[in-house]
Amino acid sequence: MSSFTTRADAALADPILKIAVERTAGTAQAKRAIAIDAFPDFEAARTRAAAIKDHVIAHLGPYLEQFEASAIAAGAQVHWAQTADEACRIVIAICKAANAKTVARSKSMLGEEIGLPHALEEAGIGRVETDLAEHIIQLADERPSHIIWPAMHKTSEQVSALFKAKHRTPHQEETIAAMAQSARRELRGAMLGADVGISGANFLIADSGAVCTVTNEGNAELSLVPPRVHIVTAGIEKIVPSMPHAIHMLRMLARSATGAALTQYTTFYTGPKRPGDRDGPEEMHIVLVDNGRTKMREEGLAEMLRCIRCGACMNHCVVFRQIGGHAYGGTYPGPMGAVLTPTLDGLAATRDLAHACTLNGMCQQVCPVKIPLPTLLKGWREKSWREGLEPVSMRAGLGLWAWVATRPALYRLGTAIAIRAIRLLGRKGWIASLPLAGGWTQYRDLPKPAAQTFMNQYKQEQRK
Amino acid sequence: MSARAAILARLKSPAPVAAEAVALLGTPERPAVDTSNLLSEFLARLALPSVNASHDVIASLTDLPSAIARYLSAENEPLTLCCPPDPRLDVCDWSAFTLHATAAPDETATLAIARTAIAETGSLIFETSPTAPMLPNFLTLHHIVLLPVAAIAAHLEDAPLPGPQPRAHYWITGVSGTTDIEGTYVRGAHGPRFLHVILLRDEFPHISDH
Repeated sequence: MSSFTTRADAALADPILKIAVERTAGTAQAKRAIAIDAFPDFEAARTRAAAIKDHVIAHLGPYLEQFEASAIAAGAQVHWAQTADEACRIVIAICKAANAKTVARSKSMLGEEIGLPHALEEAGIGRVETDLAEHIIQLADERPSHIIWPAMHKTSEQVSALFKAKHRTPHQEETIAAMAQSARRELRGAMLGADVGISGANFLIADSGAVCTVTNEGNAELSLVPPRVHIVTAGIEKIVPSMPHAIHMLRMLARSATGAALTQYTTFYTGPKRPGDRDGPEEMHIVLVDNGRTKMREEGLAEMLRCIRCGACMNHCVVFRQIGGHAYGGTYPGPMGAVLTPTLDGLAATRDLAHACTLNGMCQQVCPVKIPLPTLLKGWREKSWREGLEPVSMRAGLGLWAWVATRPALYRLGTAIAIRAIRLLGRKGWIASLPLAGGWTQYRDLPKPAAQTFMNQYKQEQRK
Repeated sequence: MSARAAILARLKSPAPVAAEAVALLGTPERPAVDTSNLLSEFLARLALPSVNASHDVIASLTDLPSAIARYLSAENEPLTLCCPPDPRLDVCDWSAFTLHATAAPDETATLAIARTAIAETGSLIFETSPTAPMLPNFLTLHHIVLLPVAAIAAHLEDAPLPGPQPRAHYWITGVSGTTDIEGTYVRGAHGPRFLHVILLRDEFPHISDH
């Protein structure tokens, strides 16, 4: 049994997880639907958003150079990293040069992707996660299970117990508001005392060199303005040509992620503190991270680089809603994760993810940048087959089926014998246990097949 | 080969045509705004549950201290205010207040001046400068924002300044909130729990006019 199947089995057997995922993803789905209904011509807006991203991906090199030149002109320092390890080494070196004892981190999925929390720990640098959900995850020593709501897998009862065990002055009242206040008390001092603030970027504006972050909590600004150094780690696909392009994408992002017209706090940082400024960092560093993105562009996954990390695909995925994010085993869960993870972690170890999909197409339908996620998932299935990664039993079974299916007479004979044999196992119209299909019948019964094959019945009808 | 050279070598392409990038924008899909009535459009968005802000209207800048006093008293807060070092506020009589320029970690009330506001979303638009620090606006419990009525614009595209960008350009659309526990909305996550906008009917000089 593969590790994905094991994780999915464990997730399906966890009744609390199902409740937790349903509470948040269900709310997100309902709020998005209201927001989209109220937005004029969302379909045309999706087409435009996809076209903007495709334009950038086609000209990614020149846009990155333009962004670099603009950011340097504004006083920022720009670094480039081909791999996750290289990106972490750059960040740690900047922290060490700044004599940093603690860093405040504003939630960034790229940071998770490159393993930055772990790298900081190894370097002996204290890390304060400032996003409420990331703070919960840090206290619980777990990984995010969703890209917008990393603590989606936790119920309020579990969060309450965690805060009572770990916070200095935890909440007294058993309300979610009181729990949020407990985290506010715990984190405020830590944010103001950090030596370095680390964030990701929602958008990199090529013509101004600005880095855009969005949050609803305001934790990005509280993490990035007080420290002496601000480090941004951003995937190279985050570029947009100019502010108006970013604005179109922001309208799509907020509605798709949380159902809001806009996030509460949208900030564009252009370089470090200027002469006379009362606050802001002395140094701003931007680390542009490839980590497989150029390869995706070269190997047929360019459309995946459109992704703006809104999480709508997972909120609407029937598989994600059953198993939650952790079962996927990578940084990114759900449909977009199932496409990205094989690039990041290798197909051999992750080939199961492309099969954890009913191909119902909901993810593509809600994607604000029209990524053909089912098609890309099928691409991984085909690649896995070509590279011989599918199990021997599957290959042999499908090979046999293909051989028979291309011989109609043999196929008809085979199916006629098979349904007779299977009918012998039926009790009261249902089959509770079927040899070679134990994986199916372990959890559900199979309806007893009809007495005749379709082709036989069809021929009889024709003769009448 | 450096990482930079290696990445760019794999991303070789002709330079983008600027006109092509502009053409992608066309007429962007966006919520309709009645441009003949920007104030009421803005106030409607400001009152939405997702923005959750209160407001007051004053005729002249000299009415600002009494409007702030009215708000803070109603909220049972002391007349203590973190005030930006903006010379345009010098015409006000602050004698009833204890003013300071640097925000405390648990600051109660901070005043800020919005350069513009956006009717489409109910957003308040700010930039950092020597007379406009950023941190106090995030540390405070009550965020009080002065907004000249004439400065309200229709769409988000009207928010950015042209030309070289300030150190930070930021949009505030409501109070700090979170839905991180079970998707339930809680106000006052890390930043302000209350946002109060004071609309100024009089003309208000641009900072560059000083």
